[in-house]
Amino acid sequence: MSIGGARWTALGLLAAALAALWQALKLSRWGFDGPGPGLFPQALGAVCAVLALAVLLAPASDDDAQAEGGGVERYGSAPPAQRHTFHVYLIALALLVAGTFWAGFVVTAFVVVVLMMRFGEGVGWLRSLGFAAACTALGLVCFGWLLRVSLPTGWVDRAIYAMLR
Amino acid sequence: MEALLGGFATVFQPMTLLYCFIGVFLGTVVGILPGLGPLTTIAILLPITFKMDVTSAIIMLSGIYYGVAYGGTITSVLMRIPGEASSIVTCLDGYEMARKGRAGAALGIAALGSFFAGTVGVIAVSFLSPPLASAVLAFGPAEYTMVMLAGLALVTYFSSGSRFKALLMVGFGLLLGCIGSDPLAMTPRLTFGVFHLSGGVDLVPLAIGLFGISEVLSMALQKPENLKVLAPPSRLLGFLPSRTEARRSVGPVARGTVLGFLVGLLPGGGAVLSTFLSYAVERKLSRHPEEFGRGAVEGLAGPESANNAATAGAFVPLLCMGIPANAITALLLGAFMIHGVAPGPTILERQPELFWGVVASMYIGNVMLLILNLPLVGLFVKILEVPRAYLAPLILIICMIGVYSTNSAAADVLLAALFGVVGYVLRRYGYDLGLVILSYVLGAIFERSARQALAISDGDLSIFASSPLCIAFAVITAVLLAVALIPRRRLPVPALQPPA
Repeated sequence: MSIGGARWTALGLLAAALAALWQALKLSRWGFDGPGPGLFPQALGAVCAVLALAVLLAPASDDDAQAEGGGVERYGSAPPAQRHTFHVYLIALALLVAGTFWAGFVVTAFVVVVLMMRFGEGVGWLRSLGFAAACTALGLVCFGWLLRVSLPTGWVDRAIYAMLR
Repeated sequence: MEALLGGFATVFQPMTLLYCFIGVFLGTVVGILPGLGPLTTIAILLPITFKMDVTSAIIMLSGIYYGVAYGGTITSVLMRIPGEASSIVTCLDGYEMARKGRAGAALGIAALGSFFAGTVGVIAVSFLSPPLASAVLAFGPAEYTMVMLAGLALVTYFSSGSRFKALLMVGFGLLLGCIGSDPLAMTPRLTFGVFHLSGGVDLVPLAIGLFGISEVLSMALQKPENLKVLAPPSRLLGFLPSRTEARRSVGPVARGTVLGFLVGLLPGGGAVLSTFLSYAVERKLSRHPEEFGRGAVEGLAGPESANNAATAGAFVPLLCMGIPANAITALLLGAFMIHGVAPGPTILERQPELFWGVVASMYIGNVMLLILNLPLVGLFVKILEVPRAYLAPLILIICMIGVYSTNSAAADVLLAALFGVVGYVLRRYGYDLGLVILSYVLGAIFERSARQALAISDGDLSIFASSPLCIAFAVITAVLLAVALIPRRRLPVPALQPPA
């Protein structure tokens, strides 16, 4: 394993496995009527910790080198323009989560699409705003109205629903 | 036969037929788009099926699964870009045939071979499933535990890259399945004091995060490319192969069908492995192995049939044993469970209309795919022209809708976003995320069976070697895990060269 990122990933998995094992050790392994709730998670946590340690310490094989990447583009080798897009997409993802909690569907979908298209991809304002409006309308009509799927609700969504009623 | 006819009656209802069409159409589109795979699509669409009846939902999701194999062929032949992993081998000889002016024949052979293999595969599913389901009824908890353990070992064995990483992903999938209330004692487990986790991690945020959102992040780093597409024939007759091409295809199609179906039955086998095996077999049997990679009809017909037959084969363990053979069928199993249906040996008795409806829909779906694929090739190729700038935001918004709608919980969206980032990092470093989903879905059944067996034996582990079947599966598991640690020899398939 010559790449720092690979080692950090294995280390993260080891930490996750140890955390799970620590939580599982608080549970009983055996109850009066048979195996307890802790038996399975304790065994799995221990096995995962050992495997993560093996991945962390084992040198990279040819198989590893071939599988590494798994069809995913590498951040390190991407040109600056693509890295910029990646950063904007990450910000959009964070906004998507925050918007789902506090802003409702309409505002979140509109802002996220505009952010990704205008600032991530460099599409013109008019097209970005138009596509964002289309996406938002598609979500409201197809999913919210036709498929009766529940969508996050904010003050804009409530205002729209009130107008439609 | 009567039951199968009942299944056709279910499928021929207008709405079910429509969902079947939507499934195969989406499958074809997804197969064409490189990157956006069936796993991502099924994960994204899973929550939308909540409002549908279970038969229509499974028919639509299954349609996506087997439709992908058809769609992937189009880009492989016309552009040398495999839309799906199961179409990688098609690039080798399919594209070379297209370059020699035989694009129509290549697409025609692929479509007809796929149709034949898919149909034979479905017939085999119809006839194999009832006896297998009866046999599985005799399984006790110990046998079930050992079957699943052997299945997980087999999946690990067939995975690409490091086996340690594969085993680790299986372990983490099973651990993720443990989060939430213990199914028997109702004690909260691995929740770290987070209230939202007391109900467990749902399949939808996990699958959408690991596949949908991580795919969007991966798309951001891809450079936009100018795609060069070879022209498909404008007339339907242009898709017909010549007499020599047809004669050369017959054997490979038949062999690919049998091989693909058998590989599809194995956990971890699946469509990808079947295409590589079929290609290797055809090259070995050919009198002109030097033609392979330069437009050999056999190198196209065999693998194209194998991947469709494997897709059908994967339905046998799913429907009869409730054990998914790969990550996509694991998601289908998740869909069954979300709708309150437990696939397994009793499905034929309890929900025959569902079982035979799904089987019948596969017959109909294959006909739809044949009709869709040849005349509409030109239209499908146009889909590739949709730029990332429009596709990525649309996928992200649909992901958000899908995740939120499952429990109307914003915390699920947060969870999916976290899984998306983690998924991107893990994929980047060669971890197979399909194994996480597969073992996550199997986890609950696996733990229940193991605990039942241990409760019966009062903690005596020898119950897992108490019957010949248990011993056989234990030996298989041990051998596979031992072999997994020995470096493997790769199949001799030539690497893809850049198109001239």
